[in-house]
Amino acid sequence: MNIESRKRELFKEFAPRLETTSMLTKIYIGFLIVIILAGLYAFYLQMSEGQIVTGMRDNVVWGIYEVNFILLVCISYSGAFISGILHFFHTPWKTAIARIVEIITVLSLLIGPIYILLCMGRLDRLHYLFMYPRIQSPITWDIMAIITDIVACFIYLYLTFIPDFAILRDHCEERNIPKWIKKMYKTLAIGYQDTKTQRNRLHKITRTMSAMVIVLAIVAYSVLAWIFSLTLQPGWNSTIFAPYFIIGGLFSGVAFIIITMYLVRKFYKLEKYIRRMHFKVGGIILLILAMLYGYFTFTEYFSRWFSHKAIDTNLLDKLFTRYFWEFILANYVGILVPIGILFFKKFRTIKWVTIAAIIALVGVWLNRYLIVIPTLETPYVPIQDTRIDYLFYSASWVEITLSIAGIATFLLMFTLIGKIVPLVPMNYILDGRTAPDTVQNKDNKKISE
Amino acid sequence: MKSNLYNHTFFISIIAALLLCTNGTAQENDLSNFKMRFDFKTVKQADNSRLLEVTFIALNKEDRKDQPPVYKAEIQFFNIQNDEEILLGSSKTSKEGVAQLILPENQKYNIDGEGYINLRARFNSTDALSEEEEDLMVKDLHLDLNLSVIDSVKTVTLTAFTIDSLGVKTPVNDVYVTTYVKAMLSKKNIDEGIISDGEYTFAMSQSFAGNTKGDLTISSIIDDNDEYGNIIQEKTVHWGTFNKQIKTDENKLWTKAAPIWMYVVLTILLLGVYVNFIYTIVNLFKIKKEGSELEIKKEPYRNT
Repeated sequence: MNIESRKRELFKEFAPRLETTSMLTKIYIGFLIVIILAGLYAFYLQMSEGQIVTGMRDNVVWGIYEVNFILLVCISYSGAFISGILHFFHTPWKTAIARIVEIITVLSLLIGPIYILLCMGRLDRLHYLFMYPRIQSPITWDIMAIITDIVACFIYLYLTFIPDFAILRDHCEERNIPKWIKKMYKTLAIGYQDTKTQRNRLHKITRTMSAMVIVLAIVAYSVLAWIFSLTLQPGWNSTIFAPYFIIGGLFSGVAFIIITMYLVRKFYKLEKYIRRMHFKVGGIILLILAMLYGYFTFTEYFSRWFSHKAIDTNLLDKLFTRYFWEFILANYVGILVPIGILFFKKFRTIKWVTIAAIIALVGVWLNRYLIVIPTLETPYVPIQDTRIDYLFYSASWVEITLSIAGIATFLLMFTLIGKIVPLVPMNYILDGRTAPDTVQNKDNKKISE
Repeated sequence: MKSNLYNHTFFISIIAALLLCTNGTAQENDLSNFKMRFDFKTVKQADNSRLLEVTFIALNKEDRKDQPPVYKAEIQFFNIQNDEEILLGSSKTSKEGVAQLILPENQKYNIDGEGYINLRARFNSTDALSEEEEDLMVKDLHLDLNLSVIDSVKTVTLTAFTIDSLGVKTPVNDVYVTTYVKAMLSKKNIDEGIISDGEYTFAMSQSFAGNTKGDLTISSIIDDNDEYGNIIQEKTVHWGTFNKQIKTDENKLWTKAAPIWMYVVLTILLLGVYVNFIYTIVNLFKIKKEGSELEIKKEPYRNT
């Protein structure tokens, strides 16, 4: 088949979603906007009233904002890492998931750092971070790492979009697509004509960037872990925190990608491209990561318990009393149940792999919660004669609303990106790695099951 | 329902017999399996008192590791002259099987014609253990330790002599002596040599910090000499060379400027990354330029 007609065919396949918006989608977008508006109101309250409207007090200066920040940033880093691996090693099944992973990477890296800003009591002094940075501070390293990573991920995402923008530019004229979008396609396609030199050049820089985002993800992961582990706080001061964060981040990232794959496959009707095989491979990767993550978690807590340091003992006592159920859910259910599901071949189905991923993601969120909050509730020098709510943390409605608003923002931006570009990269399909005709086999039959 | 226990009568009987047997022990405590060790030694201590010490233990003939000490055994110590036993004192063995008797500096001993003090330690027999006895003979050696700084050199001088009944000092020869500096847990050997003409001198070449006051305890030991037995002499001297830490350890994280290596590493890392960004953007411009040229030529889109 002529490649030009193949492009036209692919455009025809994906165009309807780009040019029309169903009523259900409009309602869904409206619903997300309402949640975001509620979040904005909560933000306004926090800005006008101060941190008093949150659960954060003198001891616990980081609440669920920090937990969300770690989770989202880790998801982003793991997205960058996985995306880099997919590109760099020319993984054959990257076609279906590469774009989803790249979008997840950029969106979570945009939304995640907002949460750390919400932890700041004096946002009006934010620019001080850039005016008077202390090179010795891991916070400064983290700011540098996040900014660099955002730039890298944007460039990388854009590079992978260029051939698709070119296809969209060449074929959008005959379709009912808004003019501004057509103009945007033309601008962003930067005159890409898919000539041999252009293609080679693009492949070369994409490959270099893919290697770079892998390295950047590891560096940024480690810096994030060092924010905690370079302090002397109980539960944080650990030599294995950086690799522990990397494994935990990859675990949550893979789980998040699997959940997104499931939702995209279902709502964008992409069964032809996102197949059972992708979930099976994702499930095996999740299983391996769950075992590694479990090993690191056990090592971390075991060495604390064995050290018998008074402050560590206090922390562990707190984890096994006040946070008993959270601890069980995070470190037993959140790790062992996904392992239990994914260990058996017969459970490596789309539904079960997704269930395992949901459990894993919830477990990691709780694990992050247990890393941040109980440690801050266990200071070396406790405050004397103070109110109980100054010693212990519980999230306020403002924090919960802003957390949900973050998820809504993510979903909204994902949906809008899905309205502008296809969620399966057309240029990869054209590369012939997952041509639709190769999907018309018995494997496809399994999808309909 | 009949219990399954009835099907295993033999094994149940053995278990029951083992459980009910009160006379059974893991090992027979028969003394014929042991031979007794009775070691007697004397040490002239730094304060010129004399320690008489007996180690009394049983040795298992079959298991060398099994060496139970004999506890609370009364040991008598004698000074012997012309087969006459003069009781010096007695002592009971400790849990380690060691009985000690310390005789003061001014203790009078009977000596034989050759100047030896003849000593005996004895354990009188009991119902379970037979009598044990051991003799030894030593000459009373006087060891003096002199610590002085000669021409800025820390010098250790040892003089060793015997005193006869008339009070005449006789210097000793060919006696091997080792000198140590005492530490908290052990002692460090600093010199060893042979006393000749009753004297041995050496200069301390090493420096030691000493205790918190800068004091060193120097100890000279004659160990298991055939003629003189064991002699210890020690003195404390203010010879410690405490090296005061001149440079205080500063926390570099609290300085105004970060350590230079931190700037270097961060610059290299960031430069590496941002140069790659620029390289990517330059390549994007090249792609754009080629695209613009193609458009100008109004060529149809090619697919090569």
